[in-house]
Amino acid sequence: MIEYAYLIPLIPAAASLIILFGGKEDPHSKMPWLGILAMGACFLMSAAILWSFAAGTLSLPAPETNWDWFAFATSVGGSHFIWPMKVGVLIDAPAAVLLFVVTLVSLMVQVYSIAYMHDDVRYKRYFAFVSFFTAAMLGLVVSSNLLVGFMCWELMGLTSYLLIGFWFEREGPCEAQKKAFMTTKLGDSGLYLALLLIYAKVGSFQLSQIYYSFNHGLVAPAAATVAALGILLGAMGKSAQAPLMIWLPDAMEGPTPGSALIHAATMVAAGILVVSKTYFIFLAAPAAMEAAAWIGLITAFMAAAMALVSYDIKRVLAFSTVSQLGFMMCALGCGGFTAGLFHLTTHAFFKALLFLGAGSVIHAVHTNDMRQMGGLSKKMMVTFLTMTVAVLAISGIPPFAGYYSKDMILVAAWNHDPRIFWPLLLTALMTAFYMTRLLVLTFVGDDRDHERHHHAHESPALITVPLVVLAFFSLFAGFALTRGGFIERALPKPTIAVMPGVTALAADASAKPLLPAGTVEGSTDSAGAPAASAPAPEKEEELPGWLAYGIPFLLVPGAMLLAVVMYRGPKFETADSIRATFAPIATLLDRRWYLDDLFLWLVKVGDGTAALAFWIDDNVVDRVFVDGWGLLMRIFSEISRFFDDVFVDAAVDGVGGLGTDLGVGLRSLVQDGQVQEYLMYAAIAFSLAATLILTR
Amino acid sequence: MTLAHYMTVSALLFLIGIFGALTRRNIIGILMSIELMFNAANLNLAAFDRFLHPQGFIGQTTAIFTMTVAAAEIVVGLALLLAIYRNTDTVYAEDFHLLRG
Repeated sequence: MIEYAYLIPLIPAAASLIILFGGKEDPHSKMPWLGILAMGACFLMSAAILWSFAAGTLSLPAPETNWDWFAFATSVGGSHFIWPMKVGVLIDAPAAVLLFVVTLVSLMVQVYSIAYMHDDVRYKRYFAFVSFFTAAMLGLVVSSNLLVGFMCWELMGLTSYLLIGFWFEREGPCEAQKKAFMTTKLGDSGLYLALLLIYAKVGSFQLSQIYYSFNHGLVAPAAATVAALGILLGAMGKSAQAPLMIWLPDAMEGPTPGSALIHAATMVAAGILVVSKTYFIFLAAPAAMEAAAWIGLITAFMAAAMALVSYDIKRVLAFSTVSQLGFMMCALGCGGFTAGLFHLTTHAFFKALLFLGAGSVIHAVHTNDMRQMGGLSKKMMVTFLTMTVAVLAISGIPPFAGYYSKDMILVAAWNHDPRIFWPLLLTALMTAFYMTRLLVLTFVGDDRDHERHHHAHESPALITVPLVVLAFFSLFAGFALTRGGFIERALPKPTIAVMPGVTALAADASAKPLLPAGTVEGSTDSAGAPAASAPAPEKEEELPGWLAYGIPFLLVPGAMLLAVVMYRGPKFETADSIRATFAPIATLLDRRWYLDDLFLWLVKVGDGTAALAFWIDDNVVDRVFVDGWGLLMRIFSEISRFFDDVFVDAAVDGVGGLGTDLGVGLRSLVQDGQVQEYLMYAAIAFSLAATLILTR
Repeated sequence: MTLAHYMTVSALLFLIGIFGALTRRNIIGILMSIELMFNAANLNLAAFDRFLHPQGFIGQTTAIFTMTVAAAEIVVGLALLLAIYRNTDTVYAEDFHLLRG
């Protein structure tokens, strides 16, 4: 099965093209089932790969399969050779896990969308977009070549744009799609420059080749840091870290299942994914790791704060996504590679569930505003139960999935820096609080809007079955994956043998560092490397007992209880009074930390600078330099002309006149009109000639 | 009397004729000098014929011929002179400078 891994991204791509061009646009089209069939096939393949790995029958990383896409002749340092551009797949253990997650979530979302997007004007096109998106994401997951991965990255940005602006007849989605595209593009510029730098230093885009260079410390520290920061910038754009997180809340204008797939579970995880794929670069650049940790922390906190005051159910979930992405980035920055990726997988499950559940609720009550909901648990039992599972997971209550991953993240932060740990813990408690708040406002207590509550009913099976499936994973995935140390085997932290710039090349042929995220032996591979040149390992201690038990059993339930108490009633006066007391802070959070205004101001500054530059060009450069120079040249040419007329022409005329006068004078001497004179000359000439000839 | 004598006389006559043609003021005088030159040439012709080809008569015939031509030419010359005199009232060569340039 692993030999056919390259098909996994190609099947949904083909399906999306068939859906797009086959059949006509029809609210009751049957083409979407083709997409579901394709995704089902990919899911089965991914599950088979993961199962073989878990059972031990398949050893990952599997050998790379590459095809030469094109080749061109080049010369480096005088030697000429043909440089091939390869495209291919590299399946390592994290990729296998992610394949499973992405295909599962995509499958659930597509099944859900059959019912949710029913009767939409562009029903068929939606599924083409979703399939295409999944193909791009899977392409990024399996790609062995960073440039091809970047291509998939950009394709994901494209489909995100298309899906956010799916209902483009309205103003909101159009503005939101442009904002999303441009903000992520800002981050992508950093990633692209990093890729170029890596190519300049390493000479290849192949991940294995790049790993080799970094593993042997062949790249200068400065270059490694710049490359890592560039990749971080790309991740900040795509994974909505501060300050580039402004696009994600607005992206909720798109259809909810699309949001579930893209802006909750999968695409926004692409940034984290790229950081983890190139984690060895970050290992070689500790400054960039530190930056990642702090950026993640700040993002997590800012987003959690914004979620505390928001009443739109999808907005709260969007802020929650940003916050959890901040957790993941922070984990990666603190050296908790396994923690970050583990959280990515569990987050995919419960966040997709949350979004799909929110979609179910919105579908029932036709509003996003939680102040108009309440008491829906009586009407929508399945949705309520599954969302409760998701909320418990995200808050970090054992044995739900989120507890295990969050616990690992907190351990990583504890071992790295207490200044990061305590704010992160606070943010985790805030997460528990606002998610419970969401649950309570929506489902618990009395209904605030009788009309809507009356018309609400449970959604059809095509919607509730995916919810149940995802709830199953949110409940058991964490527990199951941590049994027997599987998660450490599946998501091992990469290592590099030599820090950059260390000249003692541990050049021993036995080190076969051709594949990243290799086996767990890690730094014992390159036997010749002096221990001092390897990057310093993180501390490995666990949280102290009182924290390890206090957080999940005391603090988190406490935060949740607080939310229940504050928001249970129909009027939530306590919350309103707190909000009134801290009105400036509330305004700050409502205005999203003024980040939107910051970017608009930057655009204004850019416009002003451009206008100033234009004014300078028009008035100073054109007037003084260009026109002035022209005037100077005119003056010079006038002087030249004067010289020419007066002196040169006079000289020429003078010489001519002299010749004429000379001729006239001479002629008047001899040519008098007297015929006898002429005769005389003739006679003289004749006699002279005769004398000369006859006396020869 | 040898040929040389006749040639000398003929040369002297010719030179006197040249001198006259170049020096005389009056156009009729110039024409007379030209006549002199003609006569010198005729004398030369007859002399050469008598001394070099005694049986021949070519030279003498040519002399008569040239005398006729000379007469015709003088006629033309005098006609021209008359026309000039009627137009300009003078016969002195120095008065004409139309060819001056």
